Amino acid sequence: MPRSRRFFNAQNKRELLLPALFLAPALAVLLALSIYPLIYSVTISLQQETAAGVTWTLGNFTRLFSDGFFWTAMGHTFVYAVAALTFEFLLGLGLALLLNNQIRGRGFFRASLLVPMMLPTVVVGVVWRLMLNPNFGAVNGTLKQFGINTESLTWTASPKLAMLSVIAVDVWQWTPFVFLVLLAGLQAIPQEPYEAALIDGSSRWQTFWHVTLPLLKPSILIVLLLRTMDLLRVFDQIFILTEGGPGFATETISLYIYRAAFRFFDFGYAAAMSFVLLALTNVISATYIRLLEGRNA
Amino acid sequence: MRTLLLTLLILLAVTCAVSCTGQPSRNQLTVAVISGAEGEALKQAARDYEAKTGTHIEIAQFPYANLFEKELIDLKSHTGAYDLIMLDDPWFPRFANENVLTELTPLMQKRGQSGPDPDFVEASLNVCRHPFQTGALYALPYVGNSQLFFYRKDLFEKYSLKAPATWDDVLAAAKTIQEKETGSKTYGYVMRAAQGNAAVADFMPIFWAFGGEMFDANGKPAVNSPEGIAALEFMLQLGKYSPPGYASFNADEVAAHLLQGTAAMSINWPVWISPFSDASRSKVVGRMGFTTLPGAKKPGQAEIGNWLIAIPRYSKNAEAAMDFLLWATAPEQMKVSTRRGNPPTRRSLFTDAELVAKNPAYPVQLRSLESSRPRPRTPYWNEIENAFGIFLSKANSGELSAAEAMNQANAEIEKILQRAK
Repeated sequence: MPRSRRFFNAQNKRELLLPALFLAPALAVLLALSIYPLIYSVTISLQQETAAGVTWTLGNFTRLFSDGFFWTAMGHTFVYAVAALTFEFLLGLGLALLLNNQIRGRGFFRASLLVPMMLPTVVVGVVWRLMLNPNFGAVNGTLKQFGINTESLTWTASPKLAMLSVIAVDVWQWTPFVFLVLLAGLQAIPQEPYEAALIDGSSRWQTFWHVTLPLLKPSILIVLLLRTMDLLRVFDQIFILTEGGPGFATETISLYIYRAAFRFFDFGYAAAMSFVLLALTNVISATYIRLLEGRNA
Repeated sequence: MRTLLLTLLILLAVTCAVSCTGQPSRNQLTVAVISGAEGEALKQAARDYEAKTGTHIEIAQFPYANLFEKELIDLKSHTGAYDLIMLDDPWFPRFANENVLTELTPLMQKRGQSGPDPDFVEASLNVCRHPFQTGALYALPYVGNSQLFFYRKDLFEKYSLKAPATWDDVLAAAKTIQEKETGSKTYGYVMRAAQGNAAVADFMPIFWAFGGEMFDANGKPAVNSPEGIAALEFMLQLGKYSPPGYASFNADEVAAHLLQGTAAMSINWPVWISPFSDASRSKVVGRMGFTTLPGAKKPGQAEIGNWLIAIPRYSKNAEAAMDFLLWATAPEQMKVSTRRGNPPTRRSLFTDAELVAKNPAYPVQLRSLESSRPRPRTPYWNEIENAFGIFLSKANSGELSAAEAMNQANAEIEKILQRAK
């Protein structure tokens, strides 16, 4: 250990004091708000309250396997995430490519596209809940104007359409975010590769596939990663739009965790479910990074 | 360097000194109340009490969705932050079971009262006892809600229908009204079948009237009994006369349909009575009738939904809290609370001539409350209601048949009880 002894000599100690002091408040906050709760939630996920008192057990984790609600909610979460992500990405990319061109009114379109993203999710939820009301909502009202029979279009109340409805609202709100990040990425691409491609006689499609897309990869990776993490833990808009219903049709894992914790007061089970979600999110994120980075290398 | 460290330490010490010395004073109470008319009434009472006695009362107000969690977290961690809490009666078994409430009778005896005033409606006092009806008293009833049956008097007269006494009458009337009232589209019935509390509250009166019981004599879940399945089948039939999308309806949607005159009947709570006579909100002023719940095999019974006030076990001011509690639930104060549309829990107020003149539905409300029934008294009610509501909503949205829904609900309730052991 000669190195560490040298590291902590008197001279160094003095030099280390100031940075340590600067770091201390941040570390204290992190410890109190992040690390302590994390350790605490590991603890309670391994405990169960019984008549005899608190016991250490893996019961919360084994219970997951026999809990049909948990797996259904997990399934809903993935359907929701995959569908919303696909639409948001394709639409966002399309819009970014379109508005990266010199078209008329570009500034106006760019600005107005950002409005949904600026609104609080709660407001978006409430507004869409009203718009999707089967009897006096704007959506069915508009469809009726076009002579469409809306009798069976009950949107958030229909087990078939409810999931579609909540996905549509998410796409409406978050496509602008994807668009914004990808547009920034597009604008950071230098002109030279395009000029080179032009000289080499590449078609527009080839240019897009071999020049734009590879150079946009870092932005794509960032936006997919952020959206996936957000989608997997979606809570607020579904809570307001359907509260997981009708029946269980739009219950996602976050809603189920919330219910377990704050309605049923089963914090241990809620913590166990949260760790499963955390693990899955990590695996998915790592896969993304490997896929996208791997191809680059 | 040393100066910097010293400054930081002093700063820390000062912040701590400022924040850590706030000891609760003797003449101060903290009350957790619900946002809405029920909580506003207690808030008003607190202000009046403050002016009268000088006891400072701090109010912590929470929306329905958060009140339960705030109170239970606080009570379970023994912080004693609240001296009085408002409780919805289905939560009571959970709180009583956790042993976090103060028994009230000893505090009453100290004040020369042998027990709660016999003027309180018995059904309301029953839900304040643990175990139900027979046990010790841990709360006092403050707002005496129980379900009522709302129906359009004018349409019933138009088609010479009698006020519905049975669920068969209801179905027949719904059919008649919906078929004949074609000029202005009017649905025969409107109900809430959103998963959770809504679907369960609208189903229980049908379930009970058809002879269903959530638990059998041995305490085993029995919602999939033939009676239970018949009750759900009946609910689905009634659903054919309810506006499309009712499987996601909550109180607001039901009220909107009734106030707009687009639905003719529903089960509802007394808080919605007064909006019907408000011409700025209602298109059916003077046309709504109120009666007790219809029966079937058994006489109709409403679900009770009282707001209770309790004193947490770890309150540091239980005596002062008791004084305020007795004052706020006394006839004079409760009469003030009724001005906000809160039904009382005292017989003398339900029959008070002045109040009856203002609230013509009071006699019906009293009958409904006296014959009401609580939701099954179990500390696991939140879990059970959630699971049961999911399957009721699934049946009403057409995802499951009545028998499938009840069988799956029964299995799920069984699981919840098994886990609880």
